[in-house]
Amino acid sequence: MRAIALLVWSSLIALGQPPAEAILRHAIELHQAGDMDGAIAEYRAYLNQVPGNFMARSNLGAALSRGGHYEEAIVEYRRALHDQPGNTPVRLNLALSYYKTSQISDAAEELTKVVAQQPKERQAIFLLADCDLQLGENKKVIELLSPLEKESPDDKALIYLLGTALIRDQQPGRGQLLVDRILRDGDSAEARLLLGTTKMNAQDFAGALADLEKAAQLNPRLPDVFSYYGMALAATGDTPGAEVAFRKELDSNANDFISNLQLGILLKQEQNYDEARTCFERALRVRPGDAAVRYQLATLDIAGGKIESARRELEQLIKEVPKFVEAHVSLATVYYRLQRKEDGDKERAIILKLNAEKQANEPGAKVR
Amino acid sequence: MNRYSTKIGRRQFLVAGGTAMALLRRGKADPRPLFEEIPPEASGIRWVHDNAASPDHYLPETMGPGCAFVDYDNDGWMDIFLVNSGPCDFYKPGKPIRNALYKNNRDGTFTDVTEKAGVAGGTLGTFGMGVAVGDYDNDGFPDLFVTAYGRPILYRNNGNGSFSDVTEKAGLGGKVFENHWTTSAVWFDFDNDGRLDLFVCSFVDYGTTSHFSCGDNKLGRHFYCIPRVFRPTASLLFHNNGDGTFTEVSRGTDIEKALGKGLGVVATDINNDGLMDLFVANDTVQNFLFVNRGADAKGKTRWEEIALASEVGFSQDGKARSGMGVDAADFDGDGWQDLFVANVDQEMFSLYRNNHNETFRDVAFKNGVAQATRLLSGWGLKFFDYDNDGLLDLFLANGHPDDMIDNYSQQVRYREPLLLFHQEGGQLHNVSADAGLVFSRSFAARGLAIGDFNNDGRVDVLIGNNGGAPLLLRNNGGQENHWLGVKLQGTKCNRDAIGARLTWSAGGIERSRLKNGGGSYLSSHDPRDVLGVGSAGKIDWLEIQWPGPGRGRERLTDLPIDRYITIVEGKGVVS
Repeated sequence: MRAIALLVWSSLIALGQPPAEAILRHAIELHQAGDMDGAIAEYRAYLNQVPGNFMARSNLGAALSRGGHYEEAIVEYRRALHDQPGNTPVRLNLALSYYKTSQISDAAEELTKVVAQQPKERQAIFLLADCDLQLGENKKVIELLSPLEKESPDDKALIYLLGTALIRDQQPGRGQLLVDRILRDGDSAEARLLLGTTKMNAQDFAGALADLEKAAQLNPRLPDVFSYYGMALAATGDTPGAEVAFRKELDSNANDFISNLQLGILLKQEQNYDEARTCFERALRVRPGDAAVRYQLATLDIAGGKIESARRELEQLIKEVPKFVEAHVSLATVYYRLQRKEDGDKERAIILKLNAEKQANEPGAKVR
Repeated sequence: MNRYSTKIGRRQFLVAGGTAMALLRRGKADPRPLFEEIPPEASGIRWVHDNAASPDHYLPETMGPGCAFVDYDNDGWMDIFLVNSGPCDFYKPGKPIRNALYKNNRDGTFTDVTEKAGVAGGTLGTFGMGVAVGDYDNDGFPDLFVTAYGRPILYRNNGNGSFSDVTEKAGLGGKVFENHWTTSAVWFDFDNDGRLDLFVCSFVDYGTTSHFSCGDNKLGRHFYCIPRVFRPTASLLFHNNGDGTFTEVSRGTDIEKALGKGLGVVATDINNDGLMDLFVANDTVQNFLFVNRGADAKGKTRWEEIALASEVGFSQDGKARSGMGVDAADFDGDGWQDLFVANVDQEMFSLYRNNHNETFRDVAFKNGVAQATRLLSGWGLKFFDYDNDGLLDLFLANGHPDDMIDNYSQQVRYREPLLLFHQEGGQLHNVSADAGLVFSRSFAARGLAIGDFNNDGRVDVLIGNNGGAPLLLRNNGGQENHWLGVKLQGTKCNRDAIGARLTWSAGGIERSRLKNGGGSYLSSHDPRDVLGVGSAGKIDWLEIQWPGPGRGRERLTDLPIDRYITIVEGKGVVS
């Protein structure tokens, strides 16, 4: 993408040589030579003179991105897109920067626009599918990838992403067919992860543990492998092992949602509140509105005596998710601590009602 | 701190190893383990619990049994009562099922007197669960209330070595317990009228003639349903009418409104107002804390359920846990009753420190209890001072309810180890590894009772095992510490003096203890209090605050040491 942009820009430069253009040409030379710091400085100098130049700004974004300055790149890409909102390559670059900074929901939003404009853009499609998986939007992934399955039945990446979404969406039957297709080519970390995830969903934690352990052995760099392995370990009672697994996942991807959330919960149980908060905040960065993470942060506030802060978050949470029983319990606790007995009693009544509704859905002492 | 502990530093402990430490704690000359199993061949207790295990996995099979230390013949030696299952709609035993009453022979052995005493049970419709012991008629002989899936039984002690089933006569039969599967129960005097009342935990609505099956597990076998699937029920409170009958008085109160799945109960006074409150552990629904607000204008006792506001109802994550065993004690010595709940694996047990304002904080993690119990499921438990250093310690009996859990989990097991925590300086420490070989074994433990069966002043432990023989543990701890055993006898207050507060001073240290009712799971305990005084050679004074309207106090001095005494309300030491 960046190469195309540079080529076009080079052609434009060839049409005339205004003083500012010399700076730009130098910037491009530095960019092509791999001197990102130099290129960035020159692009900025040029844009000081010609602030409305779209290509210079997108090139600056590209240089910043290549230099690892993703947040600054995002600013430049967004300014460029303000002038040319229909420019798909720049939008894809913006999405990539969001992805690199684990602003997954923003990345998904931009990628959705890219795919809408270029439905055949496989890189964008796969990246969007990956983002949606991280966001827990499994149905979106299935909808996105199912049409491609027929066109590319042997595309392993596609099968893996689609299979993962199906299994996480509690569609083990169709998911298992895809796992079998992967397994046809021999044992692989991807297949084991999918199998393990399937078993986790079926509450077969011991079975899942074996597959996930194998997956981690086959490819310890496979995204999510230690997250799921950690969850299986926790579910089978090995919380110290789970903590190690979550930390391994975070070594590969410090912003992994599952590992941050699960490790945070374990750390909170161990009353390591500071590190737990760091984990939850990272998880929230990936999924900004996630109710489970926000709830965990609120309970940390309660534990830390930040009662007003907890109250605000919990009140907002139950507005958004009225049947979140645990949030009602914590909000009641907060009200009681604030000596707001009447409000606490109201929450108590809601808890009783919600629990009664939940209990009513249980079978009870039916005839055997 | 235990004075032996002060002689041996942490470094020495690590060098010497746990066993050596355990020996030194009891004095260099004593090679016995801290807690020593008394095998059936030695004790004569050959009774074995029949859990009625079946391929269908009916839930009551995995819930019992309870047990009790009870001095049924008033000879000053603790006898033992063991609860068995029994024939019911889903269980037709091939041979008679019987409870067991073992008389203490005062030499470390016991004799089975069940038939003579008439407490065998085994009647159709009573699948026994637990037992609550209390002298409800104030005649000086302890009576038994046996809880059950089905019909519970009240056995009145006739005072001549036999009991009579007075369930119907007492108003506790018929339809009173219809649709109630009763578990733990407690005798206590909620209205301070001098007579023991009865609170009975009600577990789930399990049906009466047919039962929901949770189907097959991944082994293709039926399994014990998680109680979540069954409807909750209300526990029951009965007022003692003083004429051998009881009246249910929970109607219209929070006790009736609070639908739970009660398994454990302890009667205590959480706010020091002289009125006994109730803390109930529920399985898969929130725990209940029923605070006794005293009589209203019509004389009816008001009960306020405040577990949520008190922060003992749910976990820190707002989740209801699987509460089973409970206890209450002033473990940190601040004069206020703290609470304990044992939960199922992954939930960790709860140790709630009293904040003195009807709220509590869970300090289980700070005390190492949470970490030690993550993989365990707890039932019977009790705070007591096993080494007589004056500080309360904690004994936990564990076992997973699912007899097939070993097939699913790499870490959690059906049979689980016992745990012992020793208190030093307000902090509990897990000393199980140093407490004897029995702590390296695993059990399907359920009920747990404490009592000094050999009258040596060191409180022993009795554990009911599901589908197995009971476990009798002799306490060899604290040999160099002094103690005073106190049996309280109320005259104006209830004869068992439940609700009395004992405060004593020895060696310049003042301590107090509230005589709670119940605690643990399905079980009852030695009614005597053993007051540990460590190295102090004497007790300077002992003050008894008797329960009741006047809350009269008696201060006693010139007390003996290292022996049991009986103190009668208004009369002082009588023996």
